[in-house]
Amino acid sequence: MDHRQGKQAKTVAEKERTRVAVLGTLAEFHHEPIPYDMSALVDLVAEINPDLLCLDITPEQWHKQSFGNLPPEYQEALLPLAHQTDIVVAPIGGGQALPKPQADGWRGKAIKRLRNWIATLQRTASGPDAINQGWRHHLANYLYAAIRWFSVGEVEKATREHTDHLTHAVLQVARRDPDARVLVVVNVQYCHIIRGRLRTYDDVEVAAYTAL
Amino acid sequence: MRHNVSNWNRLLTTNLLIYATSNLHRAAWQALLEKQPGISIEGAVGTFKQIAGIWPSPPVVVLVDMPLVQSELVSKIRAIKADYGLLFLVEKYDLDEIVAVLRAGATGLITHDTTVAELSRSIIAAGRGEIVLPQELATQALIALARGDDVKNGSSVVLTEREQEVLDLLARGHTNKNIAQALFLSVRTVEAHLRNIYGKLGVSSRTEAAIWAVNHDHTLSGRTAANR
Repeated sequence: MDHRQGKQAKTVAEKERTRVAVLGTLAEFHHEPIPYDMSALVDLVAEINPDLLCLDITPEQWHKQSFGNLPPEYQEALLPLAHQTDIVVAPIGGGQALPKPQADGWRGKAIKRLRNWIATLQRTASGPDAINQGWRHHLANYLYAAIRWFSVGEVEKATREHTDHLTHAVLQVARRDPDARVLVVVNVQYCHIIRGRLRTYDDVEVAAYTAL
Repeated sequence: MRHNVSNWNRLLTTNLLIYATSNLHRAAWQALLEKQPGISIEGAVGTFKQIAGIWPSPPVVVLVDMPLVQSELVSKIRAIKADYGLLFLVEKYDLDEIVAVLRAGATGLITHDTTVAELSRSIIAAGRGEIVLPQELATQALIALARGDDVKNGSSVVLTEREQEVLDLLARGHTNKNIAQALFLSVRTVEAHLRNIYGKLGVSSRTEAAIWAVNHDHTLSGRTAANR
């Protein structure tokens, strides 16, 4: 196979893979006067205009349209946007609520300190790009991992199970509609893990949200 | 522009003409709809002549807010703007009125007590030529429209399970977005299924496909994902 044939075969293979991007959100921080506020999130997702928007909502919540316990970025921004545009919501959430990372003594103090660092990182970010890629994103990912490590109970295991569930649900969505442009919008602490897991599957192509 | 995806939005924008005889209503609709995603207001007019003088690029929807919905007006607009979506605002739904204006060429009707989000969705759907009707009256309206049509033999038509689901939902008066949401598919994929369905049924529009489905009891099959 010459170089041109190889390039053509690669192009065909790439075309057959569903493009998936993962965008991280900041829950209640979107209410604060930061560049990545609720309005910026709506504008960004409206601009990306994905075919399918995977949200961390359980199928039960979706069918009952029971959105009272959802984070503000879902309730106030993404669900209303999807409702009045062609963006189709795909619920990918699992059944069980995640335990909040916590501990007593020095571990508890460490968790509190790490949370403050993450909050500072996110509040001082220049926009969604800074939250979702680059050094700030990677550092925040390490801090989240450290918080899980310091916390007591089953937080690490629960996070792993939750992100496994989200990943498989995204794959199902992508396989049901391989030609769709899929945007996954979840809390920023899960982005890194989900992107990494999705990259291990041949039938999806993990793209940056700016290039979906 | 910071993100390189802006062209998508430009391609998907529905151009809207507001047609209302009252100045206040025109201004109100304009103010209400100009910031809605996917909609670009191309003009607000008070007379039929003014509509004829505006030529926005497709897809175009004329949102008509008049005290009375007259079939003659629908036919007049349709005669000069064959490819426009014509969406009429009404006080309440009346099956006879719905059937009459659909026969005259309207794309759909929506009541004044709808939400802004619902109106936006309806405008976008009308821009694609979709029938916009309340779901509780859609099947009845289609049956009324189909009355008198010859029922072609549909036994030789073979639809895939997905196509049957799409056709069932279409015949229940769902828009493409609602069909897509019920089946967790993209709107573009639903449109592709509809093109295949039209080909297999030998029809050229969603109205004909919906009437075919009503005539062949598709709305009663209960096989849609939305019902499961």
